[in-house]
Amino acid sequence: MRIPHRSCVVTLCTALAFGAALAAQTTTAYTGARILAGGTPAIENGVLVVAGGKILAIGGASVAVPEGATTVACNGRTITPGLIDAAFGGGTAAGDRNEEGDEVTPHLRVLDSLDPDHRSFARAREAGVTTVHVMPGTRSVIGGLGCIVKTFGSDPATMVLNDAASLRIVMGADPSMGNRAIRGGRVDSVYYRRPTTRMGVVWEVRRAFYDAKQALELSLGAEAPPPNPGREVLARVLRGELTAYTTARSEQDIRTALRIAAEFGYRTVIEEAQDAYLVADELAAAKVTVLLGAPSATRLEGPGSADGADPRYVTARLLADRGIPFVITTGSSSNALDLVREAMFAARNGVPTTTALDAVTIGPARLLGIDARTGSLAVGKDADFVVWSHDPLDPAAVAESVHIDGNPVPARR
Amino acid sequence: MRRSPSRSALVPVLLAAVAATGPLLRGQDVLLGAQRIVIADGTELDDGRVLLRQGKVAYVGAEIPAEARTRARRVDYGAATVVPGFVLATATLGQDQDLAERALPFTPDLRAAEAFDPWHEDLLALPQYGITAVGLSPASANVAGGLAALVKPGRERGALGPDLFVALSLIAPARTAERPPSSLMGVVDLLRSAFEAVRTGLATGPDAAVLREAMQTTRPVFVHADTFAELNAALDLARDFGLRLVLVGATEARKVLPRLVQQQAGLVLGSLSPEARLEQLTLPVALAEAGVAFGFGGSPARMRLSAALAVHHGLDRRTALQALTRGPADLLEQAAAIGSLRQGSAADFVVFRGDPLDLGSALVATWIDGELVHGEAPTTRGEAEPTAAAGVR
Repeated sequence: MRIPHRSCVVTLCTALAFGAALAAQTTTAYTGARILAGGTPAIENGVLVVAGGKILAIGGASVAVPEGATTVACNGRTITPGLIDAAFGGGTAAGDRNEEGDEVTPHLRVLDSLDPDHRSFARAREAGVTTVHVMPGTRSVIGGLGCIVKTFGSDPATMVLNDAASLRIVMGADPSMGNRAIRGGRVDSVYYRRPTTRMGVVWEVRRAFYDAKQALELSLGAEAPPPNPGREVLARVLRGELTAYTTARSEQDIRTALRIAAEFGYRTVIEEAQDAYLVADELAAAKVTVLLGAPSATRLEGPGSADGADPRYVTARLLADRGIPFVITTGSSSNALDLVREAMFAARNGVPTTTALDAVTIGPARLLGIDARTGSLAVGKDADFVVWSHDPLDPAAVAESVHIDGNPVPARR
Repeated sequence: MRRSPSRSALVPVLLAAVAATGPLLRGQDVLLGAQRIVIADGTELDDGRVLLRQGKVAYVGAEIPAEARTRARRVDYGAATVVPGFVLATATLGQDQDLAERALPFTPDLRAAEAFDPWHEDLLALPQYGITAVGLSPASANVAGGLAALVKPGRERGALGPDLFVALSLIAPARTAERPPSSLMGVVDLLRSAFEAVRTGLATGPDAAVLREAMQTTRPVFVHADTFAELNAALDLARDFGLRLVLVGATEARKVLPRLVQQQAGLVLGSLSPEARLEQLTLPVALAEAGVAFGFGGSPARMRLSAALAVHHGLDRRTALQALTRGPADLLEQAAAIGSLRQGSAADFVVFRGDPLDLGSALVATWIDGELVHGEAPTTRGEAEPTAAAGVR
C-alpha cells in the first residue's frame, strides 16, 4: 500500500517540476482583462497570448486563442506592462554600492556587487516592477557603471539586459559628506580624502572629464596615452555612446549638472531632481530627461537629506505641462512608496493618467534603451506584465500576479 | 651458516642498545597494527599492518616483506581504528595579525611561510584534534593575501612544507574602509584588472608571476566567498581567467550548485555547529550528491564535529572521512604526500577507540611523520620490547 502511494507522490512531483520547466514553452492566453498596453488606447475585454517567454498576440476579444493554449480568465482585472524603475535603490548589500577608496571610479560595475537574492528584488516584484536600473551609490563623485536587470533570476547573468547602461555622477553633499582633512586621529581612514565641499565635488567631475578629453585628443595623435579603464568610460560619455545620470536634487546642483554637461558636451539625465520645478526653463532648454525620485516625497531622508532640496507635489504636473520628459522612480528616498503608488501620486497631483503610467513603463524603457524588449505590450516583446486587481492607479490596486519572460514570479504574500 | 645463530642472537642486544640511546631509534621501521586501518577511501584493512619507514608508509598489509616485518618495532593499537591524519586545507592558526598585510589590498606574492611560527601554541594543539597537516594561509582580510604554505605540527615544534595555493578574498573583511577597495565591485575590479594586465603582458614582477601560475592552473586559487554575489564573482573570475578554483567558506554554495559542478570548483566548508541552520547542516550531503569536491575546514577544534554533524544529517561516513583527509589534500594538490596511508605517503595517522565519526570515540593518539606527537603509545611487542616504549617518540 505504501509503495504505490509513495511512487504516486514522486510521479506528481516529477510532473509538477516538468510542468514548471515547460511553462515557458506552452502557450497561455489571458482573456477578459482591460489591457493598458502602453502607447495605444486601452483595450477592453482584451486578449494577451504568451508563448516561449514572448508576447504572441495582443488585442481585443477578436484575437483568436491558439488551439491547445491554457486560458486564464482575467475578467475585471487590468493588465499593464511590467513596471520599470529607472533609479532603483536596492539590489546590493548596503556597503557594496559605493567604492569609498576613490572618489572617481567610472569603470566600476555595480553588476559585480549585485545580489540576485536581495530582498529588495522580492519587494519590487510584489509591487509589479519587472525591470530595474541599478546604479552605484551616491558616496562617490563618479561612482561607476549602472546596469539594467530583471527582478527575477537565479544568476545575475540571466537577469541582465545591459551591464553598462549608464555612468553615475553625483552632485551635492553626498560625495563630500563625512570627508575631512587629516587632523590627528586615525590616518588610515578613507574619509581623509577630497572633496570636502560642493565646489570640490564639481572640481572632481571637471578634472576627470578634462583628463579624459585630453587623453582622447592625444589618442588621435601619434603618442597614445597608456590605457586607463576609467578614462575610457568617460571617453564613451564624451563621444555620446553612454549616457551620464547626474544626481542633482537642489536647484543649484541641477544648474551645475546642466552647466558641466554643456561645458564638456555630453548627454546627461538629471536624476532625483527634486527642485526641478525651480529650473524648468533651463531643463526645457537643455532638452534633458528628468528622473523624479519619489514624487510623494516632501523632504528627503537618508543620504540626500543634506542637499537642501525642497520637493513639491506639483513638480510632476509642471514638467508634464511644460513638455519636459520625465520618468518616475523610487530613487534613494527611504520613504518612497511602491513605484505604482508614486505614479498614482503624480496622477493625483494633476499628471494625466496615461502620462503617469507611461512614466513607469515605456518612458523608462525608452530612456534606458530597452524599449525593443520591454516597457509596453506588443507582439514579439518580452512577456513582462502585471495583472492588477484594479486600475493600477487606483489606491486599492494590488499586483495579483507578476510575470517575467512569461513565467509567473514567486511572491511572498 | 654456522655463524648466523650467534649473529642473530646479537641483534636484539644491538637493537636494545640503539633503543636505549633514544633518537637513533628514529631510523627503525615501525610495524603499525590495529583492528581496523583505513588506508584511503575504499581501502580498509581488518586486523591490518602497515610498515612505516623513515616517516613514510613503506608497505601496506600483505605487501610487507617478511624480513622487514620481523625486524620492525611493533606498535599495536589492538581493537582501535587507525585513519589518515586530518588535513585542514586553510587556516591562520591564531596568526591572523601576521598573515594580512593591512596597508595593501593586493599582495599575491607574500608567503605565509615567512610568517610561520613553529612554536605557536595553536599549531601545537592541532594533534589533539587529529589534524596532522594544515594549509597555513594568508588571512582573508586581503583581496589577494598571498601564498599559503603546508605546515605540520610536531611534539615540540612544527615543520614547514612547500608553498601551496594563492589566497584571494571577496568577503566583508577584505572590503574595508581602512583602505581601498571598500566594496565588492571594487574588489572584483581590482582582481579582474590585475589578471587582465597579466594576460596582456602589461604586468610584470613577482605578483604577476603568481597570477600567471594561477592562470596556467599550475597553482590553485583559494577564494574566500560566502554570499551569492561573492560566489558568483569568484566563479566569474575563474571562468574568465581559467583558474583552478577552490571556494572557502561558501555559506550560500547551494545557490550556485550547478555552476560549482559545471566549473569543477572545489570547496572548503566552514565549521558546522549543532545549532546551525538546517540548510547549512545539509550542505555537505547536497555537495556530495552533486559530485562537488569538498573538505571540512573552519575552526581546527570543530573539524571532526563538523564531519560528524554532516553524517548525522545524511552524509555517508566514507565521504565524510574522505572530506577530512584525502579531500582537502586533493584540493591542496598534495594527495601524493598526505591525506592517505598509501605507500609513499607521510606516516600521518590518528588512532580512535571506535569510529572517528562517532563523537563518543576517544582520540587515542596522533602520529606525524612516523612519530607519536599526541596521546599514548600502545604496549609494544617485538625484539626491542623492554625499551621500545620509552623510545616510541
